[in-house]
Amino acid sequence: MATPEIIKVLEGSAPAEWMRMSLLSMPVVEAIHVLTAAIVFGTILIVDLRLLGFPNVHRSFTRIEHEVLRFTWGAFIISVVTGILMFAANATTYYGNTAFRLKMLALLIAGVNMAAFELVTKRNVASWDKDVTPARGARFAGAASIAIWLAVLFIARWIAWTKGYNYAIPDNVNFDFSAQ
Amino acid sequence: MIRDFAAWLQTTGISVKIQSISWIIPVLQSTHIVMIGIVFVSSLMIALRVLGSVRTDEPFATVWNRFAPWMWSGLVVMALTGLVLIIGEPVREFTAVSFWLKMSLLPISVISIFMFGRTVRPDARTSTTAEFSAGRKAAALATIVLWLAIIFLCRAIAYDSAVWGHLSQHA
Repeated sequence: MATPEIIKVLEGSAPAEWMRMSLLSMPVVEAIHVLTAAIVFGTILIVDLRLLGFPNVHRSFTRIEHEVLRFTWGAFIISVVTGILMFAANATTYYGNTAFRLKMLALLIAGVNMAAFELVTKRNVASWDKDVTPARGARFAGAASIAIWLAVLFIARWIAWTKGYNYAIPDNVNFDFSAQ
Repeated sequence: MIRDFAAWLQTTGISVKIQSISWIIPVLQSTHIVMIGIVFVSSLMIALRVLGSVRTDEPFATVWNRFAPWMWSGLVVMALTGLVLIIGEPVREFTAVSFWLKMSLLPISVISIFMFGRTVRPDARTSTTAEFSAGRKAAALATIVLWLAIIFLCRAIAYDSAVWGHLSQHA
């Protein structure tokens, strides 16, 4: 399977080189990635559970959504930037890794689920915003979102255990291959 | 001595069993991360309510009752998955500076949040307009920072010698 040119360009870029050569870049960037992923999941779970009517329907859905999603989006943007940095360092290997591809697919499905909810299901939000059980489509979107984001987190951890490294690790960097 | 204990633990039947089943550690790590999301965001919402940044239309008691059960349940699952991870990889954990720092900070942050639930004044508990004292707001902010440090240290365990240099016992 041929590797696309853009993958090679990304791997040869200065940020990718910095990720490979700096002693602290990988742990710091990876820690921020995990932290922001946890925030994305934890905050989106609040919105998804409200779509399912939990813990109750007394607080306006749009209010909860407005209040929480700013944290979700802020964390998601940082997660994408740190994710691209980690990908660039080892792009060829990530590109060919099945777990990585599955994670991208899961993220795409999460995006489609969100777009369908925002563009279609949410149009009649006024009728179920408060004190009534959310519409069937809204409940479906909430349940699907929880399942998809759980899949993203589980597959993401799987990448570390299946990908290996395709570059020479500097002498002063000690990667613990036995325990990722 | 800790290293000897870790080396011994790593040879016990239960540790060997955990190490020998390839999917156990990744699944436990993923579950641990999901719990971090639940516990951290629950604590964050409680702390941000104290700071007056979220859910100001609800009294503190309502916010506490909404998030505290998730926080405590998440902590229990986090502790259980963490315990099995330690038994499975004791040398990796016990010889890491990040592990001991994380374990030192964890009880402080848990006690800090617990104290919010126990010691908030009755009027602040049930009113939507009562302001929290500057000290309490500082404690809420400190709890958020503590959690950020703990999560950072979780991941840093895998890179202990890169992060801590000669302080780390990782080879």
